[in-house]
Amino acid sequence: MKTETQLIVAAQGGSADAFADLVQLYRDRLLRFLLTRCASYADAEDALQDTLINAYRYINSYDPRWRFSTWLYRIAIRNAGKLHTADVVELGDLRDEENDPLLQCISDSETENLWISARRLLNDEVFAAMWLRYAEDLSVNDISTALDRSVSWTKVNLMRGRQTLDAAMNGTDNESKAYG
Amino acid sequence: MDKLANRLRRDAENIDAKVSDELDRRIRASLHGVTPVSGQQAAVPPARSRGFWWASSLTGIAAAAAVIAIVNSQPEAPPQQATPANVLAAVPKIDWKAESAMMTAQLQQELDALQSDIKKAEKRVKDDIGL
Repeated sequence: MKTETQLIVAAQGGSADAFADLVQLYRDRLLRFLLTRCASYADAEDALQDTLINAYRYINSYDPRWRFSTWLYRIAIRNAGKLHTADVVELGDLRDEENDPLLQCISDSETENLWISARRLLNDEVFAAMWLRYAEDLSVNDISTALDRSVSWTKVNLMRGRQTLDAAMNGTDNESKAYG
Repeated sequence: MDKLANRLRRDAENIDAKVSDELDRRIRASLHGVTPVSGQQAAVPPARSRGFWWASSLTGIAAAAAVIAIVNSQPEAPPQQATPANVLAAVPKIDWKAESAMMTAQLQQELDALQSDIKKAEKRVKDDIGL
C-alpha cells in the first residue's frame, strides 16, 4: 500500500493510475460538495470529472506544504464557480424541489437538513467556507488557502455564517444579519 | 464540539453521494488521456553548463579583437578638407526660377483678372456719364 506522498510523486511522473488511487479517498466527498453547487446530479458528476482532470493536469504545481485535500477543494471551488457563472439563468431559478440533486441525496429526516438552509441563506463563498469547516474539518488556514481569502476574512465569515445558521436552527428571525 | 457544528456534520453525512462504477470508469479513462503539465520546467530556462559561459565569453572577446584588427589594418586615408568649393558641390542645385514661376502663376492669373475687371468697370462708368 503506497502512501499519499508516494502516490503524488508517481502521479507527477505521469501515472494516471496512481492519481486515480490518490483521489479515491476524496472523490465521494468532492461529489457531495459539488452536489450542493450544481443544478443536477449529472452536472455534479461532470464537475467532479473536470476537477480531477484539472488536478491531474496541474499535479506538478501542487505545493506539498498544503494538504492535498485543500488543493483539490481549491480546484473544485473554482470549477463550481465557472459552472455558476456559465449559467445564464441563476442556479437558484433552475432548481426545483423534484430535481434538486441535493434534496434527492438527503435521507428522510424529521428536521430540514441544515445545509439546505445554508445554501438558501449564505452566498457561495461563505457556504463553501462553512462546508470546509464543518463537513470537512479543515482548519481556518486551509480554508483561507482553498478560497484564496485572508485568514481574517475566513474567520469573520465563518462567524457570520454560524450566526445565520444558528438563527435558522433555532427558528429566530436573524436573516437581517445574514451575510451574502 | 457545539450543537451547531454537530448538526452540520451529521447533516453533511446524511447527504448520500457515491461515485458510481460508470463514473469511475469514465474518470479513469479521461485521466489516461491527459498528460500532466510540467509546470515550472516550462517557465525556467534549462541550466547552462559552466563551459557554455566560458565559450560564449571567449567568442565575444575573439570577435571584438577581430574587429579591432580589421579596423587598424586599413590604410589611413587623408582627412578630407572642408573647403567652400566642396560644400557648394555637395548642395543640390535647385531651379529657383522654375519654382517661383510655379508659385506665382496663380497669383498672376488673379492679377490679370482683376485688372481686366477694373478696365471693364472704368469703361462702363465712362459710358454711363457720356464721356
